Amino acid sequence: MISPTQRILFWSIVWFCIVILSVPTLIVVGASVTAGNIISFPPDGFSLKWYGEIALARDLRQAFGRSIIVSLICLAVSVPVGTLAGLALTRYRLRFANALQVYLLLPFTIPLIGSGIGMMLVFGSWRILGSVWPVGVALAVINIPFIIWSVSSSAASLDGDLELAAANCGAGRVETFFHVTLPGVMPGVITGGLLMFVLAMTEFLVSLLLTDARTVTLPVQIYNNIRSIITPDLAAVSSVFVVIALLAVWLLDRLVGLEIFLKSK
Amino acid sequence: MSQENDTKTFRYPLRWRIMDALEAALDVLWPRRLSPYSGWALIMPALLLVGILVLGLFQIAESSLHVLDRSTFMPAEEYTLANYEMVADSATYWRVLWRSLLGAGLTVFFTLLLALPYSYIMVRTPSAAVRKALLVALFLPFFIGQVVRAYGILIVLGTSGAVNDVLGLFGVEPVRLLFNFPAVVFGLVQYMLPFAVLMLAPALTAIPRETETAASSLGANWVRTFWHVVIPMAKPGLVGAGLVVGTLSLTDFAMPAMLGGGSQDFIANAIYDQFFRTADQGLGAALALLLVALGSILVGIVIAVFGAGTLGMGGKK
Repeated sequence: MISPTQRILFWSIVWFCIVILSVPTLIVVGASVTAGNIISFPPDGFSLKWYGEIALARDLRQAFGRSIIVSLICLAVSVPVGTLAGLALTRYRLRFANALQVYLLLPFTIPLIGSGIGMMLVFGSWRILGSVWPVGVALAVINIPFIIWSVSSSAASLDGDLELAAANCGAGRVETFFHVTLPGVMPGVITGGLLMFVLAMTEFLVSLLLTDARTVTLPVQIYNNIRSIITPDLAAVSSVFVVIALLAVWLLDRLVGLEIFLKSK
Repeated sequence: MSQENDTKTFRYPLRWRIMDALEAALDVLWPRRLSPYSGWALIMPALLLVGILVLGLFQIAESSLHVLDRSTFMPAEEYTLANYEMVADSATYWRVLWRSLLGAGLTVFFTLLLALPYSYIMVRTPSAAVRKALLVALFLPFFIGQVVRAYGILIVLGTSGAVNDVLGLFGVEPVRLLFNFPAVVFGLVQYMLPFAVLMLAPALTAIPRETETAASSLGANWVRTFWHVVIPMAKPGLVGAGLVVGTLSLTDFAMPAMLGGGSQDFIANAIYDQFFRTADQGLGAALALLLVALGSILVGIVIAVFGAGTLGMGGKK
């Protein structure tokens, strides 16, 4: 049904998009297995020596460890908070629901540089700047709408009568929550949690503002190293992120199916 | 333990006792008569968490009212609007603002130009495998993170990078492709493409295929069908995607910093420099607040045009 000219034109644009989206990633991964001492593509022979190198590099290893800690803290804060908020927005009739929505979307509507600077000043006045955990909290703040979204879309399709039935059978409020409501919205909680974790792993700007030399996370460390020197070890570190992204996409597809993002509301 | 065994007291399973204890605790902490407010209790942690941002905005506003005391390099005590005057009078900041707006505008244009056919093909393709492949090609970069993507672009566009190698095959001398304005716009387009496609796709899904068939059976060729049927019907998606891409690229930091090489600063970079290079907190705060205001105006337009529903979180009640 699509006419030939349209097909050719559209598919060439699609291929152009695929190239500009994928080639930088492929080249990073390709450059990381070079045997030479500088970034080159095609790689100068095949070797995994740069992976050995980064496993030994203390700053990179520590930055990676801090990134994991930060992401876990972000998860620990955002999953309970986001789940409860998502449930509140769908299962309860709140007054000023529209105003609440606008308020809870502030993390998306305030530019990241503004949020980052603001939290830097706030954390500074609370004297907690310079530790690792506030970064995790900050990342939970800026990405919280993602998990509220995914939980509330899960909760919207959950039959409210199930909770009443549980109560009718003698379940108390805590029991109903843990045995009926929570399992019902679990797909949304897991999807949201996955998003929060991966976005916290890769977050850059707010982390840059909230960390110092002793608390840098991996993306900030990569940024700092790019500015000083371009060697294949950075490509090897970046490949770690590519692996994380592959895992995340695979999991997301298994959990909810990527096609869900094409649905119209 | 032995005593219990002797007396043979009956005990409920541990899980039941824990549940009962939790129920009892909840009855004390949040008695049932408070249940009309349960929704508020559940949403309160999220409100407090986002409250940190609001607090941050107040702190920014407060700092923006103090000028830097050049003798002590500490913010001065008295309140003044001097920082805002300085921003308004400075030709540099107007240039940075103009560059950011131009960059964001060009990014919106090129991103939508690429995203519209991409989402159209993705939505309309009959093959599930093609659709999946196109989705993976979008999500992978989304999860890889901006720094690593910018790093990839640095390698590809570098003087000894892949693009120059290809050009070299045709006998073209290495060209400096990085650290200029087009490089930043290219990086932003690459960064924004997944966002735009994912915002457009639902809008295109909502267009019934029959409308296009009807248009072509009435004699319209595909260009006219696309121009008079698809684009008008996808307009909400286009405007939404355009505004999101616009605000995100207007306020972006990493692409101008990494691909612009310090010569192509956007507003975010200027703010960062005020805080971390010149240490003039007040001026940086004034700039940050102006940027937040600019961003809020753009978002306000989105909400005014579409209602919060487009970005809303409540779902159906």
